[in-house]
Amino acid sequence: MIVALAVALGVTLGLVLQPTVPLDLQPYLPIAVVAALDALFGGVRAWLERIFDEKVFVVSFVSNVLVAGLIVFVGDKLGVGGELSTGIVVVLGIRIFSNAAAIRRHLFRA
Amino acid sequence: MSLLDDIAKQALDPAYADAAARRAATDPAGVRRPARRSLAIGGVLAATLLLVLAAVQTHRHAPSAERSRQTLLDQVRRETDGVSALERRLNVLRDRTQDLSDSLLQTTKAGSALAKRLDAADLSAGTVAATGPGLQVVVDDAPAQGGSGNNQVLDRDLQSLVNALWAAGAEAIAIDDQRVTAQTAIRQAGSSILVNFEPIARPYVITAIGDPVGMATSFGASSAVARMRTYTQVYGLQFRFARADSLTVPRAPGLPLRYAKPVVGRRTGEARQ
Repeated sequence: MIVALAVALGVTLGLVLQPTVPLDLQPYLPIAVVAALDALFGGVRAWLERIFDEKVFVVSFVSNVLVAGLIVFVGDKLGVGGELSTGIVVVLGIRIFSNAAAIRRHLFRA
Repeated sequence: MSLLDDIAKQALDPAYADAAARRAATDPAGVRRPARRSLAIGGVLAATLLLVLAAVQTHRHAPSAERSRQTLLDQVRRETDGVSALERRLNVLRDRTQDLSDSLLQTTKAGSALAKRLDAADLSAGTVAATGPGLQVVVDDAPAQGGSGNNQVLDRDLQSLVNALWAAGAEAIAIDDQRVTAQTAIRQAGSSILVNFEPIARPYVITAIGDPVGMATSFGASSAVARMRTYTQVYGLQFRFARADSLTVPRAPGLPLRYAKPVVGRRTGEARQ
């Protein structure tokens, strides 16, 4: 319930304020979003498995976003930014998929 | 692949299991502290904000790229229209000046002699449209197959054909709707051919005014035509020419001369022998 409120608040804030991401950070936005999605799906799965922990969730969310951004940043400096973002998307994509599958199994028992 | 297997197996952060085990050991009742709850709410809030942010950003940027492209296109179209309107106006004004100077010159005997000379000069400079019998040459790319550059008409093909036509005694030549004058360049720009700095479209029609029979004989025997005939056989280019009783070539755009001046001591009208 409270989580749903937080989601609604996040959407409203984002749509009403429409904050602008600084130009320098814009290349890292898509990767940050994928990392955030990974943390969200992990949290939902942990909650369904009754082992959810708030601290782990927040720490994994923040560190996921930061590390993903950092890897892409370093990759950009080394000239392999595109390849590293692909790697991150693959790894996080696999995790999101298997977490989503686990969530589905919990919800529908199938 | 064991790496991918590991990723899939560890999809759920192992920290969750550790934390749950720790909690079970220290606090079996499972009481949640409110501070922790607000932590979770903050995390979800931040994640949602990030998602919406990305969505808004992408949404806002996609149309702006499209918009700037559209603006550029509109600008190009508007300017092109402006140029052709000006060209039309220039043509009308040129006609009127011609008429006026003609009617003025006709009033005196010396004037009408001058008008005759002016007309001849105009005709050979290509600043008036010309009509008469002559040859019409049509060149075109080979029918598309494979799309290699070998089966396309090049600028040098047109150059050699125009040269052969001049050599055969042509008095006025136009390629498509572009008059060939002393200032004309025929050149390739990318995949299109420019004549008088204007792109022309295939099929390329070369209109040459002159003695039809003499030109047909001399042009037909030229090496340019022999080469084109080879190209038709080897590469499948289209090439044909025919005599015509009445052809018209348009007038040249008349590029202004900014540096060339008549030689001093010689009247402009007599520059021609």
